[in-house]
Amino acid sequence: MAEFWFTYAWPTIWIVIKILFIVVPLLIAVAYLTYAERKVIGFMQLRMGPNVVGPFGLLQPFADGLKLMAKEAIIPTGSNRVVFLLAPMITFVLALVGWAVIPVADGWVLSNINVGILYLFAISSLGVYGIIMAGWASNSKYPFLGALRSAAQMISYEISIGFVIVTVLLAVGSLNLSDIVLAQQKIWFFIPLFPMFVIFFISGLAETNRAPFDLPEAEAELVSGYNVEYSAMAFALFFLGEYANMILISAMTVILFLGGWLAPFDIAPFTWVPGVIWFALKVSFVLFVFLWVRATLPRYRYDQLMRLGWKVFLPFSLLWVVVTAGAIVAFDWFPK
Amino acid sequence: MPKVTVDGTEIEVPAGITVLQACEMAGTEIPRFCYHERLSIAGNCRMCLVEVSPGPPKPAASCALPVGEGMEIKTDTEMVRKARNGVMEFLLINHPLDCPICDQGGECDLQDQAMAYGFDHSRFEENKRAVKDKYMGPLVKTIMTRCIHCTRCVRFATEIAGVPELGMLGRGEHAEITTYLEKSLESELSANVIDLCPVGALTSKPYAFVSRPWELVTTESIDVMDALGSAIRVDSRQTEVLRVLPRLNEDVNEEWIADKSRYAVDGLARQRLDRPYLRVDGKLREASWQEAFAAIGERVKETKGERIAAIAGDQCDAEAMIALKDLMGALGSANIDCRQDGAKLPTTPRAGYLLNSTIAGLETVDAVLLVGTNLRWEAPLINTRLRKAWLQGDMRAAAIGPDVDLTYPVENLGTGPDTLAAVADGSNAFADVLKIAERAAIIVGMGALARPDGASILAAARTIADNCGMVQDDWNGFNVLHTAASRVGALDLGFVPGAGGRDVENILAGAIAGDIDVVYLLAADEFDTTRLGNAFVIYQGHHGDAGAHRADVILPGSAYTEKNGTYVNTEGRVQLARQAAQPPGDAREDWAIVRALSDVIGGGLNFNTLGDVRSRLVEVNPLFDQVGEAVPAQWAPFGEPGPMSSEILASPVSNYYMTCPISRASETMAECSREFVRNDGARTGTDG
Amino acid sequence: MAFLDRAARGLLLTEIVRGMWLTLRYFFKEKVTVNYPYEKGPLSPRFRGEHVLRRYPNGEERCIACKLCEAICPAQAITIEAEPREDGSRRATRYDIDMTKCIYCGYCQEACPVDAIVEGPNFEFATETREELMYNKDKLLENGDRWEAEVAAALAADAPYR
Repeated sequence: MAEFWFTYAWPTIWIVIKILFIVVPLLIAVAYLTYAERKVIGFMQLRMGPNVVGPFGLLQPFADGLKLMAKEAIIPTGSNRVVFLLAPMITFVLALVGWAVIPVADGWVLSNINVGILYLFAISSLGVYGIIMAGWASNSKYPFLGALRSAAQMISYEISIGFVIVTVLLAVGSLNLSDIVLAQQKIWFFIPLFPMFVIFFISGLAETNRAPFDLPEAEAELVSGYNVEYSAMAFALFFLGEYANMILISAMTVILFLGGWLAPFDIAPFTWVPGVIWFALKVSFVLFVFLWVRATLPRYRYDQLMRLGWKVFLPFSLLWVVVTAGAIVAFDWFPK
Repeated sequence: MPKVTVDGTEIEVPAGITVLQACEMAGTEIPRFCYHERLSIAGNCRMCLVEVSPGPPKPAASCALPVGEGMEIKTDTEMVRKARNGVMEFLLINHPLDCPICDQGGECDLQDQAMAYGFDHSRFEENKRAVKDKYMGPLVKTIMTRCIHCTRCVRFATEIAGVPELGMLGRGEHAEITTYLEKSLESELSANVIDLCPVGALTSKPYAFVSRPWELVTTESIDVMDALGSAIRVDSRQTEVLRVLPRLNEDVNEEWIADKSRYAVDGLARQRLDRPYLRVDGKLREASWQEAFAAIGERVKETKGERIAAIAGDQCDAEAMIALKDLMGALGSANIDCRQDGAKLPTTPRAGYLLNSTIAGLETVDAVLLVGTNLRWEAPLINTRLRKAWLQGDMRAAAIGPDVDLTYPVENLGTGPDTLAAVADGSNAFADVLKIAERAAIIVGMGALARPDGASILAAARTIADNCGMVQDDWNGFNVLHTAASRVGALDLGFVPGAGGRDVENILAGAIAGDIDVVYLLAADEFDTTRLGNAFVIYQGHHGDAGAHRADVILPGSAYTEKNGTYVNTEGRVQLARQAAQPPGDAREDWAIVRALSDVIGGGLNFNTLGDVRSRLVEVNPLFDQVGEAVPAQWAPFGEPGPMSSEILASPVSNYYMTCPISRASETMAECSREFVRNDGARTGTDG
Repeated sequence: MAFLDRAARGLLLTEIVRGMWLTLRYFFKEKVTVNYPYEKGPLSPRFRGEHVLRRYPNGEERCIACKLCEAICPAQAITIEAEPREDGSRRATRYDIDMTKCIYCGYCQEACPVDAIVEGPNFEFATETREELMYNKDKLLENGDRWEAEVAAALAADAPYR
């Protein structure tokens, strides 16, 4: 009994507790990301944003959540009910499981695996299934077209993301995310790999279907994209999933290029601040840039989007992989 | 035929007409307030100023200036415009700017002409004058401050209506139109002053503030309140008939109508039968059309044709009557009659029941004998024609019957048929007057015919016509004056007892004796309904009047404003009344009710549209095709000479304001009766 | 050179950076939002809001049922019925405005000879049912009593320009 308790039960409970410690703040972060989005865009348009529910409108996300929960869940008659309901769950779950390998501070990681970056890459690639399923199961034109666009777009930009990651791997020599962060103690990778950083960030926008690449939900042509037929909690899951994905991509950006939990300068006042705070601040900054971009740029046309992915980013990132690899070989900068 | 030039166009005009009329003929409209074609010329508004040469170098009032050879008339010069603008400014000095609360607003001559000649503000800074309103009875509302002293009303009352009760007192700013003694205008044509008034000084009291002219839908129709068939326009808003105005018809009513025709329409909204009723256990209860038809069908099927009878009322359209006549024929009944007052009218020849002189023709008579009629109450507009004849020439009138003031001198020869006989055999002096006259006429009223010896009286009247040379090639002076709008139409289409059939008197006698089991009343209310005995009474009509009270089954029909109907007036003129409103509730057009009933009781009428019914009318009598024309009738023998009782010849109308179900239901008419007819109650002395 | 210039601009994302800089500056600018239910923007004296029927200072209703507003109303939203009152004056027995038909063009107040029907400054009269938007004379007179001060001030302010 005791053996069972210490060998199986307690580790399981401990893992569940750790998962809760990740998921609960994450969901709160998602809630406030929606709030932040409305506030930031509002401010950039000389508006106030939500300011009625609670002080400064801080309770607005909960009001929205309650509203979505109280709404009637509609399942279209012509839809494939199982797949229709499965799709938002997949999207949401995939957005959460990526966080299993994200180190938020030194050693603060649920599963410190050696192929963390590959795992993330795989998980984010799977996200497209939720969208394809939603679009197909709705049995309706707009969701279907939206889903096709979304899938094509995500696959296109994953390739350049892949090359960017390869570049970082070349510089680090490890697939472990904690190792990647620690490799940036001397200099954050966004400085030597600046072009890759930019490509990664832009591809991240496309990967999460954010403006200016939010073609799948182009209101003007597709009403709302793959989630047209969804309502109430099913819609809420998509929504949560999307925003969780945004945070995940931001976390990846921070880990790959902005030094993860590391303080900007390795000197006194900065090092006093715990790593998790630095991590949160950096993620927040990247998210702010996400919103900032949305407030600034108009939406791309679909052909421009594809051209950018295949004809600019792919060759450019490929070239930069070669350049980086060449530089490492030429100057013997192999990581230890 | 002088030649004149109007604004450069030369035209030839009849001698003796005025410059204003010449301009009208040339197609130039001259603004005017006081001038009216049918009234004498007053020339006091000065709005019609034009420039005339040769003549003094100043504007001339065109309404009062006769045309002369070679006159040059200018209506659109600077001088004329300036003069008219000046006149308009003067008129507006004392005219209150209360158009928003004025009932004339929207159809006001002053308003219209102020648009053309008015200025946007007044230079008059002193106080406007105010005039106390005058009482002119229950029909005419006065707001005398608005009066511009055109005196059209005074001239109408004096000349046309023949009641010189209006006049103008005072001079200048103190001038006022007044009734002198604050009494009502005692004329059956009094409300015509409302139409004449170019401003809102005289307006309609019952119609006060009810509606605006632009809200109304106008339907041109025919009046049925008397047998003249005056041309009217019915103004309605949605389902309500709000007012009736005269329409121009030179042959019938010129441009006047009688007060009853104008004001009885508020009765159309009261006491209406809007759904079928069925008498169950002695009480009327509401029923559906199916129930009502079933009850009739049950009763009629077990009754033989000769035990069924039908009586047509006084305001029925020819369509309904022909439908009922055909239905009764199909049921095998010859007991149909339209003469519910029992008038002994011949069914043929047509000349025996028509006003052969025609209404317009009566204007030219120079001697007339009135038998058993009060023209003012039976046909006010015929009375104005005779008054016109008297005013224009030396017409002599005599009456046998009621002694009433007809607004022109009438010699009362006597009250009974013996006087008539005396005129017929030439022993009365008036017979000589009639013989000498070039155009003599005799008018026989219903009061003389609706009595047991009516046929003999008719024969005596005919004798007078023959003896006094009233019937000539181009003139027929023998006239029967009807009081019922439907009567001539009914006689024309033969709504009279067939071979072996009973007339009204015999139907009622049969009902009491038990020989008649079913009586169909087509809006017939003007007889003693207690004499219907135990007969099963079907009443089809529009008002809950005498007939409906006695009825066992009530079928709701439509009044004259609610159906397209054909009426033939007393001179034999076929005219069409048009639908201005929908019948209330479940009520339907009358011929359609009879048509539907025929399916239930097996009558098998085979017309389905109004066009079919009208074709059937023409089939029965081709005269129904000649809409709008009074076709002269052939002079032929009629009447049954015989003994006449000595009973006095009274008018059939005892109260002008209440002669039919509609006018009896009308509040305005009730008020007029109180004011003009009964004269009881508080009004005493000089006031009454 | 031009090619190089354009390529450099494209590669360095200068346009995007400039755009981002603009939005960032706006981020810190003063906001123009009017915090609506608590703050309200200024209204012109000519503002055409909810209708009111006014009274004279002695309490007599102004409307004389002349029906000019009914006639001019392009949406045919106004229905009036008139009758002589006991003192013989012309008064409306019925004055209905269907606010769901009304297009707030203001022709009624232009047509009114006695300034009785006026579109007041109130624009907050949303209701939960359509029926509540069928205004009758009582409702309009009540509006008039409530808004008289504002309406009179607005008319006075606009008077010099009419």
